[in-house]
Amino acid sequence: MLIRPKHVTMKLLIVEDEPKTGDYLKQGLTEAGFVTDLARDGWEGLELAKAGHYDLMILDVMLPGLNGWQVLEGVRRSGIEMPVLFLTARDQVEDRVKGLELGADDYLVKPFAFAELLARVRSLVRRGHSSLEATVLKAADLELDLLRRRATRANQKIDLTAKEFALLELFLRRQGEVLPRSLIASQVWDMNFDSDTNVIDVAVRRLRIKIDEGFELKLIHTVRGMGYVLETGTDGTTA
Amino acid sequence: MMPLSLTARISLYFAAAACMVLLATGYFLAHVVESHFEEGDRHELNGKRELIQNLFKQARNPTEIAQLPQQLHDALVGHHGLEVTVTDASGTPWFSTPGTTFPGTLQITCPEQSLDCRDAALQQWQQAGVDYRGMTVPLTAGNGQTYTLTLGLDIERHEIFMDTFRIVLAIAIALAALATAGLGWVITRWGLAPLRQVTTMVSGISAEHLADRLSDDHLPTELKPLATAFNAMLARLDDSFRRLTEFSSNIAHELRTPISNLMTQTQVALSSARDKDAYKEILYSSLEEYERMAQMVGDMLYLAQTDNGLLKPGMAQVHLAEETQGLFDYFEAWAEERSVSLILTGTAIAPGDRLMLRRALSNLISNAIRHTPPGHAVHVSLGNTDDRATVAVENPGPDIPAEHLPRLFERFYRVDPSRQRKGDGAGLGLAIVKAIVEAHGGSISVTSANQTTRFQLSLRTHTT
Repeated sequence: MLIRPKHVTMKLLIVEDEPKTGDYLKQGLTEAGFVTDLARDGWEGLELAKAGHYDLMILDVMLPGLNGWQVLEGVRRSGIEMPVLFLTARDQVEDRVKGLELGADDYLVKPFAFAELLARVRSLVRRGHSSLEATVLKAADLELDLLRRRATRANQKIDLTAKEFALLELFLRRQGEVLPRSLIASQVWDMNFDSDTNVIDVAVRRLRIKIDEGFELKLIHTVRGMGYVLETGTDGTTA
Repeated sequence: MMPLSLTARISLYFAAAACMVLLATGYFLAHVVESHFEEGDRHELNGKRELIQNLFKQARNPTEIAQLPQQLHDALVGHHGLEVTVTDASGTPWFSTPGTTFPGTLQITCPEQSLDCRDAALQQWQQAGVDYRGMTVPLTAGNGQTYTLTLGLDIERHEIFMDTFRIVLAIAIALAALATAGLGWVITRWGLAPLRQVTTMVSGISAEHLADRLSDDHLPTELKPLATAFNAMLARLDDSFRRLTEFSSNIAHELRTPISNLMTQTQVALSSARDKDAYKEILYSSLEEYERMAQMVGDMLYLAQTDNGLLKPGMAQVHLAEETQGLFDYFEAWAEERSVSLILTGTAIAPGDRLMLRRALSNLISNAIRHTPPGHAVHVSLGNTDDRATVAVENPGPDIPAEHLPRLFERFYRVDPSRQRKGDGAGLGLAIVKAIVEAHGGSISVTSANQTTRFQLSLRTHTT
């Protein structure tokens, strides 16, 4: 049910000792179109990281054998530059600082939403593979001209506020990806904490009225329990 | 090493002090007695000296001089312990009491200007195991011949007395010191009784009786501050303990409902076969419940960290007007949908952690928007005084009854308990605001009157 990205298959290494979490991460990421290997402890994780050519490593901090920091140090010492995403249950600033100092690229605090993890993973693997910055983003007959700050659908101009423009830009840049509300809040409004309001829902609803109303092909879809996605196909993503 | 008990310590100090005082007194006494003896000796020696000087002065011719030894002998009869020698000008012994030989080293100690040598310095020496005190003075006979007179007084009995006196004194001092230590012990035990009383009172206070306080009515002044400090500590403990207990029961209560919902729902779902869509529906519904719980756990973690000082605010100059404007942008669509407008007046700068302050402002503003009736406005006013930055978030709406106001910042507290499941969050928003403000050394208050509810933040602008 999740959208398979159109680009080449990416190889991920998951290092996670908690059996259920490990299994679900592997299943979820495999179904999202990645090739995944799962290591159950620090030593195995380090071995695999050195042997296989992975595009990204997802690393738990609390591991038997070597802990996450030690695995990361071992990996970096072997000269492997793949991005590393940390999973930490310890919601402490020091942990984050330590991880980033050691060369982690991103971190996620447990418990996290799977959609959030997927979005972060995609950002990280894209980092090394992005093409030249496009100045016009397109989806079906929707066009967003970044230089002229203009949005059109079927050649009709759409009036957007600055924030709506930023929101639409995010959707277009990450077409086909489910964007969780927390990611939207953080990317568009720089709000890095959960709000107990439905602010994002209202904002997306308004944007949707502006770009989808009156058109046969709906572009922005709600993925229940996950977030929102902009896509041109209709392959049952909407629920 | 175990520290000495207070009683032992004070008794020892007492004993040491008594020893010192008594030693000084003893030394003084011994000195006085000694001087007394010396005075007596001088008196006796002077008497004999005058007598002998007179005898010599009256001897004017050789016959009379030849009679002198007999006269001296007669004069000295019956004076046990007094021995005398006379040498002539050439130093040859001329007269001495029987058996007397004084050391030849004795010098005249008579001051030059003295006529009768009344104040000649007394000398002390030992001869044949006997202690003497005496004087050596010049002697002139009536015919002008000069002699040297040495008088020596056996002071053995003085010395024996002094030795005994010193021993008795030492024993007396030792006994007195012991007695003082003992008395000190008794007095200290007695004097420290209030301390034991406090100890008894304190040991009676357990986790169940944290509300008990020490009464300082019967305590001596020295112990009153201790009782006051202890009571203050008890108050803090009591408060923390009460909050902790309340908090745990709150958590249990808050989690019980969603968990029981999930369980029932899952059990019902599994009790008979359903189609794919029905299962999907159940999973979605569970997911929503999980998300709520995850957010609550996250909020509680954040709150615990902020409250316990684990989350140290970084210190930067935060432009509160910019932050508020940013939050207005964020809430704009939501507020518009509710026909609530957002108004900002004034500016303020406060040192603090931008993310934390923004989170606090966000909670206050969303809370205000939620409680504003359609067609009205949320008003945020900022200001800087000398050492404070103030933020007031004001919204029109029904007054909050006064009894709820002080409890608004408590975790999970809701004015209307039935509102808890209507998407208003877990009831932690204002508790988080308070924790953040207090982590910044600021304060928060709320008033609600005349259809206006107003939250007022006050932040320090001088970091200390």
